[in-house]
Amino acid sequence: MGLGLLASRALRSSRIIRNSTRTIVSTPELKNADAAAAAAAADAPSDLPKRNPVGGARVHIPNPDDVIEVFVDGYPVKIPKGMTVLQACEVAGVDIPRFCYHSRLSIAGNCRMCLVEVEKSPKSVASCAMPALPDFVLSSNSGLVLLVLVENQLKYSHCISAEKAVYMHQTHDLQGPRMKIKTDTPIAKKAREGVMEFLLMNHPLDCPICDQGGECDLQDQSMAFGSDRGRFTEMKRSVVDKNLGPLVKTVMTRCIQCTRCVRFASEVAGVEDLGMLGRGSGEEIGTYVEKLMTSELSGNVIDICPVGALTSKPFAFKARNWELKGTESIDVTDAVGSNIRIDSRGPEVMRVVPRLNEGCPSFRADLKLDLTSTLPDINEEWISDKTRFFYDGLKRQRLNDPMIRGADGRFQAVSWRDALAIVAEVMHQIKPEEIIGVAGKLSDAESMMALKDLLNKMGSNNIFCEGNGMCPNADLRSGYIMNTSISGLEKADTFLLVGTQPRVEAAMVNARIRKTVKATNAKVGYVGPAADFNYDHEHLGTDPQTLVEIAKGSHPFSSALKNAKNPVIIVGAGVFDRDDKDAVFAAVDTIAKNNNVVRPDWNGLNVLLLNAAQAAALDLGLVPESDKCIDSAKFVYLMGADDVNLDKLPDDAFVVYQGHHGDRGVYRANVILPASAFTEKEGIYENTEGCAQITLPAVPTVGDARDDWKIVRALSEVAGVGLPYDSLGAIRSRIKTVAPNLLEVDERQPATFSTSLRPEVSQKVSATPFTPAVENFYMTDAITRASKIMAQCSALLKK
Amino acid sequence: MVHMARNMRVPPNSASLAEAKKRTLEFFRMCCRSIPEIMEIYNLYDVVSPSQLRSAVAAEVRKNSNVTDPNVIDMLLFKGMEELKNCVDHSKQRHHLVGKYVVGNQGLVQDLGHKDQGSSNFLRNFYSSNYF
Repeated sequence: MGLGLLASRALRSSRIIRNSTRTIVSTPELKNADAAAAAAAADAPSDLPKRNPVGGARVHIPNPDDVIEVFVDGYPVKIPKGMTVLQACEVAGVDIPRFCYHSRLSIAGNCRMCLVEVEKSPKSVASCAMPALPDFVLSSNSGLVLLVLVENQLKYSHCISAEKAVYMHQTHDLQGPRMKIKTDTPIAKKAREGVMEFLLMNHPLDCPICDQGGECDLQDQSMAFGSDRGRFTEMKRSVVDKNLGPLVKTVMTRCIQCTRCVRFASEVAGVEDLGMLGRGSGEEIGTYVEKLMTSELSGNVIDICPVGALTSKPFAFKARNWELKGTESIDVTDAVGSNIRIDSRGPEVMRVVPRLNEGCPSFRADLKLDLTSTLPDINEEWISDKTRFFYDGLKRQRLNDPMIRGADGRFQAVSWRDALAIVAEVMHQIKPEEIIGVAGKLSDAESMMALKDLLNKMGSNNIFCEGNGMCPNADLRSGYIMNTSISGLEKADTFLLVGTQPRVEAAMVNARIRKTVKATNAKVGYVGPAADFNYDHEHLGTDPQTLVEIAKGSHPFSSALKNAKNPVIIVGAGVFDRDDKDAVFAAVDTIAKNNNVVRPDWNGLNVLLLNAAQAAALDLGLVPESDKCIDSAKFVYLMGADDVNLDKLPDDAFVVYQGHHGDRGVYRANVILPASAFTEKEGIYENTEGCAQITLPAVPTVGDARDDWKIVRALSEVAGVGLPYDSLGAIRSRIKTVAPNLLEVDERQPATFSTSLRPEVSQKVSATPFTPAVENFYMTDAITRASKIMAQCSALLKK
Repeated sequence: MVHMARNMRVPPNSASLAEAKKRTLEFFRMCCRSIPEIMEIYNLYDVVSPSQLRSAVAAEVRKNSNVTDPNVIDMLLFKGMEELKNCVDHSKQRHHLVGKYVVGNQGLVQDLGHKDQGSSNFLRNFYSSNYF
C-alpha cells in the first residue's frame, strides 16, 4: 500500500496526547486545528532527509522554462507546468488518498478525499483538481486580486490596476511566494477524517461478505485516515442493484459515487451506457433503462471501482485476494500480448487481472512523464473482457493423458513411452515431403523452434503457423509487424484501416486508436466489411479496389492522407488468407509511398496480427515449402492447431495432435499428446508490435501433460533424430541463432528494413470484398471455446 | 519375548565402547527373536523369508559400523529400539515393512530400465515427470 507513509504518520501522531475527555474526533489535536497548525508552523523542519517520488517516477521536463517549484511539506520539488497539486505531491514522495481520481481518466474532483492544505488559501483544496501554480494567487478582502509573481518580481496583475498591485505587493509580505502544500497538517487530517465519515455514512458494513474485502480502497483508507467511530444513527440508504450482464456483478448500495466507471465507459470504452442519476442522497450510478454494458472492455470497471460496488461475477465468492498467488504473465488470446497477472490458488487459476505498474504515480500521458517501469506500454492498465474472463476454459476439456485412437475409433489412454514410439514409427514410414507440421495460434517460440528443427531433421520443410496463410512473406520483418508500435499510435493523426476490425481483432489496439481519435480528432478511414466502431470513422469501401483508388489519388480520402503529418495504415492479418494478398500489399505500399507514411522519423505502415504465435512463427521462418502441402500430406503434426483447414487432407493421413484442449484438432487426430497451457509453462511470445515477452508458470500442469518443446524434444530422440537441446536455456540459444530479437524480452525490437524493398508484383487486386477475420470476439481459440463464461457472452452477442 | 519388547526402556549411557558393543549385539539378538512374530502379524510369508529379514536388519546395523562414539551408538540403539517397538506393537502397516525391509531403499516401484536402455537423461526424466 503506497499510502503506508501517510497512514503510519497519522497513526503515530494520534498517540502523542490523550485528553481525558473523549470526543467523537479520535485525534485530539484536531479539535483545535488552528492552534495545532500554528504550533506546527513554529517548529519548521530544518534538515530534511531526501525523499523519493512515489513508485520511483522520473520527471522529464522537455522545456526548462516550464519548470516551476513548489513546496510539499517543506520539501522543494521541481515539476513541469500543468501538473496538479496531487501529482506534485507524488513527485515529492507523498501519496495522497483518493477515490475519484484515476490517472488514466479525466478529473472529477467529487470525492474530496484528496483535500490538502495550501498555505494562504482560505480553504483546503482538492489536490486532484487544483493545478500546481508557479506563484500563488492571493485573495484579498476587496474581491479577487491576482498577483502573479515570478522570482519575486511582479509580472502580471489582474482585476486591479498595476499601481494598486504594486501597492499590494509592498503592503503584503510576499516573500517566497511559492505554493506551499501541506499534506500532514491537522487541517488536512481533519478534512480526510470528515470525508471518510461522510462516505461511510451510507456505505454498508458488509466487508465480511464483500468480494472487494482485502483489496478495497475504502477499507484501507478508512483504517488509515478514518475516525474510529461514526455519529450516524439513522438508517443507511439502499440502492437497487443493476444488471450489467454476465461479467460485472453490482451491489450498488456499496457505491460511493466516485464516477470512475462512468468516466471509464464514456472515455475509454466508448459506450455511453453508464450515467449518474438523481441528486443528493438519491444519487446513483446506472444505465437508466434496463440495458447491459455492451463493451469489450467492460471488465475494467471492476478494477477501477474503489469499493465493492462493481465486482467480477464469475469470481464472486470464489476466493479472497490474500489467498491468491499472483504470477505476472502475458495474455495469448490475441496478438497484443497484454500484460496480465494470473491469480491462482493451488492448482487453479482463480482470475486474471491487468498488471498494474505497482505504485506508479498518477501521471497522464499528456504530461510528458517517464514512468520508470521497464514494462513496454502495451495495454496501459486495461485488458479486454476475453482476456479477463476466459480463464475458466483452462479447467474444461483438458487433455491429460497421451491417447491413441483404436480400431473402433475410440481413444485409449496409453503411456508416453507407447505414444511416442508409435508416432516415431509412423513418421519413419512416410516420405519426408509428405510430413507437415502446423503450429497453433497459442504456440510459444521455443516449441515452434523445436518443431521446425524436428521436421527439418526428418527431411521435411513443410511447417507453418495457422493464421499466416499458406505462402507468408517472412523475408521482411516490417511486412508483418506493427511498425508504429502500439503506444506510437497516439502520435498519429490519420488512420487507414485495411480489412481489419480492431475492435474484435485487438481490443487494446482499438482502445489506443480511440484514445487518439478522442484526443486529437484524428481521421479514421476504413476499408472492409460493415463493422462496429466506437469512434468516428469513414467507411471508404468494402473491397481492395478502393485501395487502388486511394493509391491513385482519385479517392476523396487520399487528400486527407496527403495532408496528414503522421499517417498510419493498419492492414489486418485476415488479408494473409486472400489469394490477392500480394496485390493488396502492393497497393498499400503505393499508398504509403505516395503519402510519405514511411519516413526516417516515422513508420506508419502496420500489420495487425490476430494470434499470439504469428509474429514469432514468421521470425523463426515457419514458412511451408509448398502451398499445396496439405493436399498430399500423409503425416500431420498439429501443435495446438485447431483452426487449420484439413478438409483437403487425404483420409489415410496420420494426424498427431499435441495440445491442451480437446478441440477441433482432436476430432481428426490419431494420436493425442497432452501439452501444458500458457498458464503452466514458461514461453516466449512476440506480440504484434514485435515485442517479445515471457509467460511464467502460474499453476502446475494437468494430469500427465508435458511442456510443448519437451514433447517435441522427446519425440525427436525416440525417432532417432535427437535435437541438441535439453533445457530451456539451450533451446533459447538455438533461437538466438535464428531470431535474436526474440530474446530481447520486454523490449520492442523495430524492424530494420522497410517494405519498400519488396519485389514488384504483377498480380491484380480482385473484386472480392474483405471478410471479417474474427467472427466471434469471445471465442477465437481452444481455451476460449472451452470457456463457459465466453459462451454466455457470445450468446448475448448474438441477441 | 513379547513382554520383553513391550517393556523396553532407555538404559543408562554406556560407559565404554565395549559396553556399547555388547548392547548392540543384544539389540540385534532381540530383533532376530522378534522376527517370527513380525512375520506373523504382518503376514509377510509370501514376500520374504525370516533369514532375508535378518540380513536386512544386519545391513541396517552395519550401516553405522563406523561409529565409535558410545553416546552416538546409544542414540542409534534408542532409535533402533523405537523402530523395533513400532514393528512389534503393530504400529506400522504391512507396506511400511515391505517398502523398507523387503524391497529396500529404492522404493516399491523399480524401474528396471530395460526399455530406456541407451536413452538420454532427458528422455528418462521426461517419462517420469514434466518438472525437471
